[in-house]
Amino acid sequence: MILQVFKGFVFKWYNYPNNILEVRMPAIFPSEEWLKGLEEKLNSDERYAEIAKNWEGDLFFFIQPEGSLKEQLTFYLDLWHGKCRKVEYQPQPDSYPTPTFILTATYTNITAILSGKLNPMTAMMTSKLKVKGSMGYMMRNVPTVLDFVRVAQDVTTEIL
Amino acid sequence: MQPILKIDLSTGATEEYRIPEKWEKDFLGGASLAARILYEYLTPDLDPLSPDSPLLFLTGPMTGTSGPTTGRFVICGKSPATGLWAESNIGGFWGPELRAAGYDGLWITGKASEPVYVWLNGSRVEVRNAAHLMGMNTYTTQDKVKEEVGVKSARVCVIGQAGEKQVLFASIMCDHGRMAGRTGMGAVMGSKNLKAVAVRGINEIPVFDMAKYKKLRSESNRKLHDDNEAKVIREVGTGGAANYAEYLGAMPVKYYSRGSFPEVDNVSGAKMTDTILVGRSACQGCVIACGRVVKLPKDATKRKGPEHETMVGFGANLLNDNLEAIVDLGELCDRYGMDTISASNTIGLAFHLYEKGIITKEDTGIELKWGDVDAIEELVRLIGSREGIGDLLAQGSKRFGAHFGAEEEAVQVNGLEVAYHDPRGVSGMAISYATSPRGACHNQSDYFFVDWGHSNEELGIEFFSRHAQAEKAANVARHQDWRSVDNAIVMCIFANVEPKEKVELINAACGLDWTVADMMKFGERSWNLKRAINNRMGLTRANDKLPKALLTPFPDGGSEGFVPDIEAMLIAYYQHRGWDLETGKPAREKLIELGLEDVAEDLWG
Repeated sequence: MILQVFKGFVFKWYNYPNNILEVRMPAIFPSEEWLKGLEEKLNSDERYAEIAKNWEGDLFFFIQPEGSLKEQLTFYLDLWHGKCRKVEYQPQPDSYPTPTFILTATYTNITAILSGKLNPMTAMMTSKLKVKGSMGYMMRNVPTVLDFVRVAQDVTTEIL
Repeated sequence: MQPILKIDLSTGATEEYRIPEKWEKDFLGGASLAARILYEYLTPDLDPLSPDSPLLFLTGPMTGTSGPTTGRFVICGKSPATGLWAESNIGGFWGPELRAAGYDGLWITGKASEPVYVWLNGSRVEVRNAAHLMGMNTYTTQDKVKEEVGVKSARVCVIGQAGEKQVLFASIMCDHGRMAGRTGMGAVMGSKNLKAVAVRGINEIPVFDMAKYKKLRSESNRKLHDDNEAKVIREVGTGGAANYAEYLGAMPVKYYSRGSFPEVDNVSGAKMTDTILVGRSACQGCVIACGRVVKLPKDATKRKGPEHETMVGFGANLLNDNLEAIVDLGELCDRYGMDTISASNTIGLAFHLYEKGIITKEDTGIELKWGDVDAIEELVRLIGSREGIGDLLAQGSKRFGAHFGAEEEAVQVNGLEVAYHDPRGVSGMAISYATSPRGACHNQSDYFFVDWGHSNEELGIEFFSRHAQAEKAANVARHQDWRSVDNAIVMCIFANVEPKEKVELINAACGLDWTVADMMKFGERSWNLKRAINNRMGLTRANDKLPKALLTPFPDGGSEGFVPDIEAMLIAYYQHRGWDLETGKPAREKLIELGLEDVAEDLWG
């Protein structure tokens, strides 16, 4: 639950066992800071660590230009056993030649997912989020995918 | 439209039945047109297994046109299991072959005095003796008939021993394991002494505007090929969602009594892909290819692999996590020619009653322990041959339960066993099962997809929580109307073809100028017509209900504690539908609005 939003800072109250008040820098999507914030959160979130403990695979996000986004954006994340080993903002495509998954969506759809307006399963089932990679692996790990989205939503304080 | 070939097996007479022009437009084809044609013949007194009972094989206006997943047809009549409207949708290549022979349908009446099969070679019809085929399984029968007619490319629809013996959930098979499984159409075929129908056609299949249609179908097939759901189904089969369904508590476990099955991955589509899958198979013109081809370690034979329903029915439902055994059990049902959903569900009831002490080894002849593959296999064999306890099980779960004074334990609606999508995990299925015109069916509205997230803005099918209650009733109704379109044209429900695309395909194929709204109105008309057929045969609001098990909260799993509020759902549903709250009949005004004036007159006087 967001308690209060100040310029430049966001305070969130999480249901951690000891009710720690977390203070975090803003994460404006899309930006390199947002991606770093996501990496940090993925590596500190206990629920994600548990649900994604069997996940092995890196992925590219291709965000197709639309509206205020004029050029394609690319994010790279290396997710492994409930942790995020690496992120890279706008990597060269050949830097990681064999990603486990490539996820592609328009800017409108990706921001709709991040703001909670578009259910991530709806996005996948209606191909608003296109998936390239092992569909069997994806279907075995839907809870991990959904929790990844929860974490991404959680770190997003503002969408451009 | 092309004519329907009518064959009276009692006399051997044949005639070409021409569909009234108005019906072509108002009912198109498939299940909707079948409902219109059969409306006057499906009476309360009609014994579904009597010579008077009609058996109608009907294609859709796009069958065989290589449109998106349009290689299908439907088999309709009166169900011996439910005593209500029967329709069973089937893929393969037989339907396209029938259209290429110059017919859009085959209408069987009467009863042959001895076992026969029909050989339709173009417009030439022969009714041949089939005494020597009796007792043969479905695969052998297909091979034998093809050999006899001497045309390798002939397509053959057959029944197995279950159909011959009129098991109430006997199916009709064509091609490599494609099944019209539900509602017992195989028993109706068996009651007519009809073992098989072989077809060969060489004509071009008619399309109103082929140039336009070709362009539309290319685009549609291209999009469908790259669709996420299609990719899942192609790669891991319909069993690909097993892990997710189990996670949600939407997978029936131990005859619908448990909410979780930790061994689910052993019996999932992903596991099958990793271990025994060696190929995929598709119906005519289909770019999805949901069919599985597997090889078991025990031999080098390529076999049909199970789809979702068979995997859950003979898997989690019976606490069996042996995937290879499920392959065998599915194949055994296919060879006997019986529906794997009803067979596994009814066997599940036997295990359930055995555990409760309602039946004992004295009744069954064998010990029934959950997960005992040998016992399951023995029951399948007994059902297929109608021997011992199998004779009772062959009558389906409702009658089996009633025989032992425990009908309320049977997980069925109106005599059709519930499919393997639990409404405690995906609540929209509560309405789907309770109001489906053919009993607890998941193909009249596979609403579980919507509850997982597959909404459709253009049709007003919104996304509601999977545990939402009456607020989703209208949404389910819209989804039923949408699926009624698919069941008419006859398009596979796995095909994500957007409404605008679909209506353009229909318009090009049929020479219509429908809008999406017109198409949905058509779907609503079809749904109400089937409802009216059932009302005429005695169905009332009291029939719209769920079995006790589905209204009992799960003790564990992803849907622990939840039950659908079926009464509130039904009230909201009736109100949206314009159905009478007392009788459950579509209101006179609704029927007239849908252009069903004669039906309104029949129902309301």
